[in-house]
Amino acid sequence: MNREITEQVYLLGQRRSLVAILTRSCAIASNRNPAVVILNTGIVHRVGHHRMYVALSRQLARIGFNVLRFDLSGIGDSEPRTEGLSPLDSSLADIQEVLDWLEQERGTSQVVLIGLCSGADHAILHSHGDPRVVALVLMDPSIPTTARFYAQYILQRATRLRSYVSVAIGRSSLVRLWIRDILHGRKECADMRPSSLENLRFHDYLKQSYRNVINNGVQILAVFTGDTLRQTYREQMLDAFPDIVFGDRLKLEFFEGTDHVFTSQADRARLFEIILAWICSLNGSMDVRPPASEGNSLSPASSAS
Amino acid sequence: MKPFFFGTAERRLFGIYEPAAAGTPSRRAAILCYPWGSEYLHAHRVLRQLALKLSDAGFHTLRFDYYGTGDSGGDPTDVEFTGLEADLEAAIEELAEITGLTKVTLIGLRLGGTIAASVASRRRRQIDALVLWDPVVSGAEYLSQLGADGDARPPIEVQGFPLTEALLQWLGGLNPNMLTSNCHPHTLVLITQRLNSHVVLMEPAEAASDKPLIEFLADTRPWLEDSVLHGTGPLLVVQRILNWLE
Repeated sequence: MNREITEQVYLLGQRRSLVAILTRSCAIASNRNPAVVILNTGIVHRVGHHRMYVALSRQLARIGFNVLRFDLSGIGDSEPRTEGLSPLDSSLADIQEVLDWLEQERGTSQVVLIGLCSGADHAILHSHGDPRVVALVLMDPSIPTTARFYAQYILQRATRLRSYVSVAIGRSSLVRLWIRDILHGRKECADMRPSSLENLRFHDYLKQSYRNVINNGVQILAVFTGDTLRQTYREQMLDAFPDIVFGDRLKLEFFEGTDHVFTSQADRARLFEIILAWICSLNGSMDVRPPASEGNSLSPASSAS
Repeated sequence: MKPFFFGTAERRLFGIYEPAAAGTPSRRAAILCYPWGSEYLHAHRVLRQLALKLSDAGFHTLRFDYYGTGDSGGDPTDVEFTGLEADLEAAIEELAEITGLTKVTLIGLRLGGTIAASVASRRRRQIDALVLWDPVVSGAEYLSQLGADGDARPPIEVQGFPLTEALLQWLGGLNPNMLTSNCHPHTLVLITQRLNSHVVLMEPAEAASDKPLIEFLADTRPWLEDSVLHGTGPLLVVQRILNWLE
């Protein structure tokens, strides 16, 4: 396959205010399904931590995917929305508009969403109501804590004197997390969409979103790192949602010892290998395979449309 | 706002052009030069805001990603100093072509300031003013701030970015005198963090005919993650830049 790729800039959304870069293979039709859409992580603009989304976009394009990375409203180069939506509603409206553009202007009816942290949460919350989303790559999404989470957490830190000092002086992250769990666990969590991603893991809405997504046949690759206060073991997602039958629609990966934003180049290389192989395996009819080696050919096509 | 790619087929650069706000009196042009690595990621938002304020003040502005950084072509391993300078020169030509203006102001943050100073020293006729915001003036100090092991054999990894042998070698030779010995005559240096290298910076070589205006401002440092997550914007620095350019 011709590994040459091209990148173009677009201003998307109803107000043409969302800055987006479409990366695609020169050898593949521009309406090829599924397209891949990469969402912002927190407030970092579309290139991602350590430029990881640029590298990922280009690797995916070289094996035949159309990949769009863009800035949500108010992040990076995109203008904030002005109609007074909550932060979460604003982000979900942006995703909707970007997928509408892909469908209407590029003929893309199937999409894979990729997100890390808040990006993963945005992906799952949008997906359960959008049949165009056929697969999700979720890196460190919000999931509820479990009894085993606490046991693992304590076990990992039991030999550290600093941990006991933190507890003694009231600065223990675990204790604060546990208190929040108790306080929120006693609340009646509404099944309506929350207004922000804060404390999302306490909302029944999250569980319903996962259930709907799985029932809709969406495939999920969930990648967890061991460097957050949110998960300590590979199967935590399964334990957190015991009444959801994920079956073979969920593939779990756990990067023990990796930090939340994949700072190490070696960790990112491993992550990309897993993502590329998994996306290629989604559809047996796809004539795409990971390249034996990466080139760096980038065609001169450009312009803001 | 106009995001676009420019440069050559072999060296495609991503930039965002902000035209001067309608009705503004002056017609001037400015290029904002980003830092490198994680400092670029953290400072991106503040430099966008600065570009918008410059636009309101009558400047046509261009922000761009060096080759191998941001949305531009290339890989991080392609980054080396002569390339960074060449990219800034390409951006100067691009902005001149867009605006029809023959002179441009360069505003550089951290390593972007170092690149801007170097290019400005060679292109004095094209540069009408130079603003260096906490420029990197000592390679050893810079590597130490990034947490890099100066004794490690290249290529080394710094905060998730590869630091190439070429860039490492260039940083090894960087010293404050390089910045002050051939300084652009209309230069403002803003310092928010007093470092050993700044002592030297404030005492330019006697042979230097043009001395930069150097000011210390106690303000936040938007290239640091903590500052981005917990601090307010660098209001003093931004306001000082706008006032000085007026």
